Amino acid sequence: MRPLWALVRKELASLFGAPTAYLTLTLVALVTALIFFDHLRLYNQILFIFATNTMGGFETDTIPDHVNLWDTVFLPVMETLGLTLVGAVPLVTMRVFAEERSRGTDELLVTSNLTPGQIVAGKFLATFAFVTLMMLVSFVYPATAIEQGGLGVLHLASVFVGLWLLALGLASIGLACSAFTSNQLVAAVSGWAVAFVMWDFSWANAFIGEGLAQLLNQLALQPRAIAIHPRYGAFAEGIVSLANVAYFLGLALVAAAVARFSFDLRRVNG
Amino acid sequence: MSDAQPAIVARGLTRRFGPHLALDALDLEVPAQQTFGLLGANGAGKTTFIRLVTGFLLPSAGTLQVAGISPAEHPGAVQRQLGFVMETSRLYPELRVRSFLRFCGGTRNLGGDALEAAVDRVLERFQLGAVEGRLIGNLSKGFQQRVSLAQAFLHQPPLVIVDEPTGGLDPVQQREVQDVLRSLRGECTVLLCTHDLREAASLAARVAVLRAGRLVTEGPVSEVLAGDALALFRGEEGAA
Repeated sequence: MRPLWALVRKELASLFGAPTAYLTLTLVALVTALIFFDHLRLYNQILFIFATNTMGGFETDTIPDHVNLWDTVFLPVMETLGLTLVGAVPLVTMRVFAEERSRGTDELLVTSNLTPGQIVAGKFLATFAFVTLMMLVSFVYPATAIEQGGLGVLHLASVFVGLWLLALGLASIGLACSAFTSNQLVAAVSGWAVAFVMWDFSWANAFIGEGLAQLLNQLALQPRAIAIHPRYGAFAEGIVSLANVAYFLGLALVAAAVARFSFDLRRVNG
Repeated sequence: MSDAQPAIVARGLTRRFGPHLALDALDLEVPAQQTFGLLGANGAGKTTFIRLVTGFLLPSAGTLQVAGISPAEHPGAVQRQLGFVMETSRLYPELRVRSFLRFCGGTRNLGGDALEAAVDRVLERFQLGAVEGRLIGNLSKGFQQRVSLAQAFLHQPPLVIVDEPTGGLDPVQQREVQDVLRSLRGECTVLLCTHDLREAASLAARVAVLRAGRLVTEGPVSEVLAGDALALFRGEEGAA
């Protein structure tokens, strides 16, 4: 285990030894705050309109049920944050393996006492640690408001777990893409491409035809079953399902196995 | 690794990259406890041979044994026995010298007091004490090469592979690095890959010359480099 932890420490030192990490954390916190407060401003405006004298004010129950903090602020914020993560996370993961390849330091790692499995595990763990920090930073404003809005700690936990698992899933995709190239731009673009394709598989129904879609539906093999968005959306609605947690953990394991395979491929292909 | 057993034995070692034949049925023995020079022009197959020895690549055909172990089948067991000195550019410029050495020691399963002792030992041996707190990226190439040498000796391996150790260094830095390599004579087996004939002549006891993936000649440095050594690189008639 010692070589593995040495790698995790080195990865974190490399990450925080450059301004990119701090810039990313700042940008994520800033963008999250902007998205959140923009929706909060909109909510306040709607409330103000309903609360004017001409519409009867708060006391007369004129505010419709759908105008509430949850539906007007948190759900759309979580939706936008999810898409923001699809854009941001591959920028974090693009360098992890690709930079080692372009510098030639991957040879130093492989010829040390680290096994390819430990290299993959170390890099995944370090990236997950950074992504977790990124989520904690981005969650400060929504968390404060959820607490103030009286929506309860369980709702709060559900939303955070959903966002965190989404970020880990996207990071896993980005890392797997980074393991196959020495070009960071290629790693980022392929990370975006795979994440966007997997985001929502509704587009696939147009290609497979109604008959096949019905058959797959009966077999519970709909392409949408492996889509990211429906799984994440459930957390945003406050539903924590074991199947959805297993989905994101499975995604991370498959991505790690794919990244591990890149080392074998390199031994054969050069 | 005993003195009697060669450090590296290659038999019919072949490596293809698609249609390109990088190593063509190479037969070579690298004796233990000596500095062995592997010479050749760029593209001769030196780096491919190193990558096969370290287990970074798999051979297309033939066998290779490092201290009696196949790097293709047991890369971990071979890697535990070797130190690898790469070109200066292949380091982590964002890390400080001591942090980098701690990391390399950690990957070699060193920890606690043993790790600190190993780091202190190589810092002293390679005269890096004055720069231990500096970023590797801010060091001169000569110091960077010393850092690269230092990491390879943390676990005191019986075999050290040194790839183009003086590439890109000025004459003073080249001299410094060569002095360090000279001081290793008899301590361990050193496989020195270079295209610098003078460097090979001053450091190696025996040399082998590769050309287009084939072994051109092998023998004591005084015999191989006695004639027109450049002709061996170029493949001129009668040179081998």
